[in-house]
Amino acid sequence: MTAQRADAAPPVVDLDEIRHAMEYYADKGWTDGLPVVPVTEGYLSEFLATTKRDPDEVLIPMPHLNRNLTVRMAAINAALAGCRPEYLPVVLAAWDSFLKDGMVTRSIWQSTTGTAPFIVVNGPVRQEIGINCRGNVFGSGFRANATIGRAIRLGAMNGLGLRPHVFDQATQGTPAKYSCCIGENEEDSVWTPLHADHGLTEADSAVSATVIRSVLHVEARHTTDPGQLAYELADSICRTGALVRPTAGAIVVLNPEHARKVDAAGWSKRDFVAAIHSHGVRRYRDLAAAGKEAIASGTRWRIPGGHPDALPSSPPADPDEPVRVLASPEAVHIVVAGAPNAGVSSVVETFGPLDRPPAVVKIQPLSP
Amino acid sequence: MLERAGIPAVSICTDAFRITAEAMASQYGFPGYEYIAVPHPIASRTEKEMTEMARAALPEIARILGAES
Repeated sequence: MTAQRADAAPPVVDLDEIRHAMEYYADKGWTDGLPVVPVTEGYLSEFLATTKRDPDEVLIPMPHLNRNLTVRMAAINAALAGCRPEYLPVVLAAWDSFLKDGMVTRSIWQSTTGTAPFIVVNGPVRQEIGINCRGNVFGSGFRANATIGRAIRLGAMNGLGLRPHVFDQATQGTPAKYSCCIGENEEDSVWTPLHADHGLTEADSAVSATVIRSVLHVEARHTTDPGQLAYELADSICRTGALVRPTAGAIVVLNPEHARKVDAAGWSKRDFVAAIHSHGVRRYRDLAAAGKEAIASGTRWRIPGGHPDALPSSPPADPDEPVRVLASPEAVHIVVAGAPNAGVSSVVETFGPLDRPPAVVKIQPLSP
Repeated sequence: MLERAGIPAVSICTDAFRITAEAMASQYGFPGYEYIAVPHPIASRTEKEMTEMARAALPEIARILGAES
């Protein structure tokens, strides 16, 4: 199979053979339900040529399932997902980031919570391979975004054996499981990008990956007051439905228009995060209305105050007493993405240990 | 893993996780490995209900462990 040919003429193909290949891969259970690109040894070698890493290097160990995800398996699944070979260094950096993040190797993708891979790409690689950072950033229509996210999901299913109804026990999952990969809109942002906030330079290309439960849409077209915007975002992050554990965390994907309004009011990114954190509380009364006012002494899950494992065992004197849901400013990270055309932003609900820096991993140069 | 270390053990899950339990047994080379499936769910049950479930499961636990009845 040849990746690129000089002529731009429509391909001459045997449609029956293409359909046969598609059905063969589907029958083998190697897909996410959508058709995949067939992978030959020759096509795989084009992917492996984009990295100096050993094809047998283990990216994600999963000893309790007797599985390891190797560079070769990551490359095969990137090809299946529809990536071009030059996307592979981004896919490999994403797997490195998931390892650094720590939740995948703690078997989070076997959990009933049903989290999806979420990937943020920063730096020049966005332009080099065409990662969308602007309008419809979470939507479909962009090959690099669609296939890099899908490469991770297919790698989890085929490489780690985490298939639905078997080892993936997600109760419902999330549409983000098909693919959820965005670029930061560094060009339209008033702030330094995520990777430059965490030790790299803007000339570096980087991936920051984590696991997420959902992407919440936040409508805030009405305000130029950054305090109101911070309140609205905190209210969404701290919804009671997000709370299985005592506290919450999020990546706020702020559209460039919101970021400009915050900046125009004289606030820095740090000021804005501090404001979200300061609003990151719920009244005891609100938590109690949902039966989540107490913490279980064993699991540390939120439970009703009357439960025998509940801490605290008695309500506070004032039921309007605020209970902190955002434990620290580090529970919130900001990424600027989308079009600067309306006051619409998103709360990406992260899962796992909160209050920590993102797992930023530098992408190795594309040419070996 | 405990049984490989010579410690008698019995796996218990709720019936919602049967497919996963059987897949895990096969993954470790023990298709047909005996385990106990108790009624789902666990998280929202009262202490009394949990005690009753545990009591109901006891004879089967003892049988799989090879205890004399």
